[in-house]
Amino acid sequence: MVILREGVCPGINEEFIKALQSEDIKTGVALVAVRRVLLAQYTAFPVSGADLYEELLSSTAILSTGNPSLDKLLDSGLYTGEITELAGSPGSGKSQVCFSVAVNISHQLKQTVFYIDTKGGMCANRLLQMLQSKTPNMEEQMEALQKIKVLRVFDVFSLLACLQNLRSNGLQKASVGGGSVKALMVDSVSAVLSSMLGGKQNEGMSLLMQVAGELKMIAKDFNIAVLVTNHVTKDGNGHLKAGLGQSWSHAPRTRVLLQRIEGAETSSLRTATLTKSSRQACHLVEGFDLCHWSEERRTSISGKRKLEERSKP
Amino acid sequence: MYRTVPSLPLAPSMKVKLINAGFQVASVLTDMRPLQLCKEAGISQEEAVEVLQVLRDDGRPHQQRAATESLTALDLLHQEQAPGSIVTFCSALDDALGGSVPVGKTTEICGAPDVGKTHLCMQLAVDVQIPVCFGGLGGKALYIDTEGSFLHCTLLAEDTEQRQALEELTVEKILSNLFLVRCHDYVELLAEVYLLPCFLSEHPEVQLVVIDSIAFPFRHDFEDLSQRTRLLNGLAQQLIQLATQHSLAVVLTNQMTTRVSNGQSKLVPALGESWGHAATQRLILHWEGLRRLASLYKSPSQMEATIQYQITVQGFRDAPDEPRTTPDSSAVSSPSGNHSKHPRMEDLS
Repeated sequence: MVILREGVCPGINEEFIKALQSEDIKTGVALVAVRRVLLAQYTAFPVSGADLYEELLSSTAILSTGNPSLDKLLDSGLYTGEITELAGSPGSGKSQVCFSVAVNISHQLKQTVFYIDTKGGMCANRLLQMLQSKTPNMEEQMEALQKIKVLRVFDVFSLLACLQNLRSNGLQKASVGGGSVKALMVDSVSAVLSSMLGGKQNEGMSLLMQVAGELKMIAKDFNIAVLVTNHVTKDGNGHLKAGLGQSWSHAPRTRVLLQRIEGAETSSLRTATLTKSSRQACHLVEGFDLCHWSEERRTSISGKRKLEERSKP
Repeated sequence: MYRTVPSLPLAPSMKVKLINAGFQVASVLTDMRPLQLCKEAGISQEEAVEVLQVLRDDGRPHQQRAATESLTALDLLHQEQAPGSIVTFCSALDDALGGSVPVGKTTEICGAPDVGKTHLCMQLAVDVQIPVCFGGLGGKALYIDTEGSFLHCTLLAEDTEQRQALEELTVEKILSNLFLVRCHDYVELLAEVYLLPCFLSEHPEVQLVVIDSIAFPFRHDFEDLSQRTRLLNGLAQQLIQLATQHSLAVVLTNQMTTRVSNGQSKLVPALGESWGHAATQRLILHWEGLRRLASLYKSPSQMEATIQYQITVQGFRDAPDEPRTTPDSSAVSSPSGNHSKHPRMEDLS
């Protein structure tokens, strides 16, 4: 048994010994015990693969988007515990897809949705329009609208404050109220981050990673499906790719690129291309109509084949 | 509220010092005195006072509310259905826009020269003043002019002929409800937008802010294009924040530029691809032969539509015939007008 004295090992000086003695730690064994407790507190427990799988099966939910083509692309829908990203050029329908998904989750699945709007594009009238096409019952429409909670933040620090507040008490408060929160949408992430990246600014990357970290923690800890939208840039060959760079590309688990169809008969047709997925082969393409969200398109396209004309109902 | 130190709106160097001193969470800092913080983090006393001030602002009820309180979509719906709108007096355009230029959103109007952008803006600056009893907003307008095209006060006077029945609305009154700011370059424009929250709190009756045009100061002498994109993105976020917090409509005008791809050239809105994401709604005014068309290109609540309009002595109005996009059914009157670059339909005065 080694009594702790000054000089027994580097780092132990007079002050240190006094501090330890005030806590009643006099021997080397006690110090080692303290070390073990600290390690146990801060290390992660190893979990067996089978247990992880069981946990995943019981806690993950798949939220259907309401659109069969998009569901097919996303392997049945939005997975909780993950971030899914929608990228597209202006007017490609990212916000509309977010609205449709929010309406589907609040009305069909009867779950609460949090919608963080950073561009002012949230339009409750449009949500009402979509609900009216699903059900003529006013009560149901109002109930569904009440399940969609909107937060409006316009810069990255407010976004971080908002996410940290959701993580600490916002989400629990909302689920106590009635109806569990199953989805969080951020429209859009690039609007607040793109002005902070680049040039001589040295904080942009850190803020980007903090936002990614907060979203991932919210998704994992609360079993929520997170849907974010992003803008697009052109890469070296002139092809479209999602914005915010390489670092952000690791945050979402699934990435979808939305595009208009050039010269299409109706202006509401869009194609969705899967650009990153851990469950499906990449570059799958599905076409869908923003106006007829719940209907399946007769044909789905892959590769470069053109869409067949859809006969009018 | 759980706030980590790296997410606070402080200078990066300050945050590094605080984190190195062991402060990871904002709640630990709120109870500290400046002298204490100064000693522990190794920063000067002024800096310590500044940090604590930022924390206090962050924890203030107003800031907290913005980040924590959520509206349900139902509350938003009630807000949106509030009475009053800024009509354009061109019924086809109003229909396409969903009733009027929306309050609480930014609308971008793009178009080639002399297609009617400034005209439409001036019309809106007058229309926002329509009294509430007539379905308007009864508000004032702030017009930020960067091109120097706000010269035609006479055009405003002609609009009042429409409202001769309303004795209260005289030309003087209309002009006095309009605040005009002239910005000569992008620095002045950025400074003006930065100061707008103060101005708007002093003049809460302002319901419309027009920036004509936002493209002009950013297109000339700007070498660093990525800096331009960043400045524009920041500006767009500030504008949408103003529009939402002060419930006003923000209208921006943009110019057109030519994009050459695959040997073909196309007219596209200026300021780049990323600017397309900035405005909530985008309206593109263009020519087709001798007709003026307006296309709603991007909107959160309306479908895309193309309508025809004309510019008359009285201002922006519906085109006389049915709005069709086929070229044969257009009615073209004889070109006249001395200071316009394209023929304008004019009633014989």
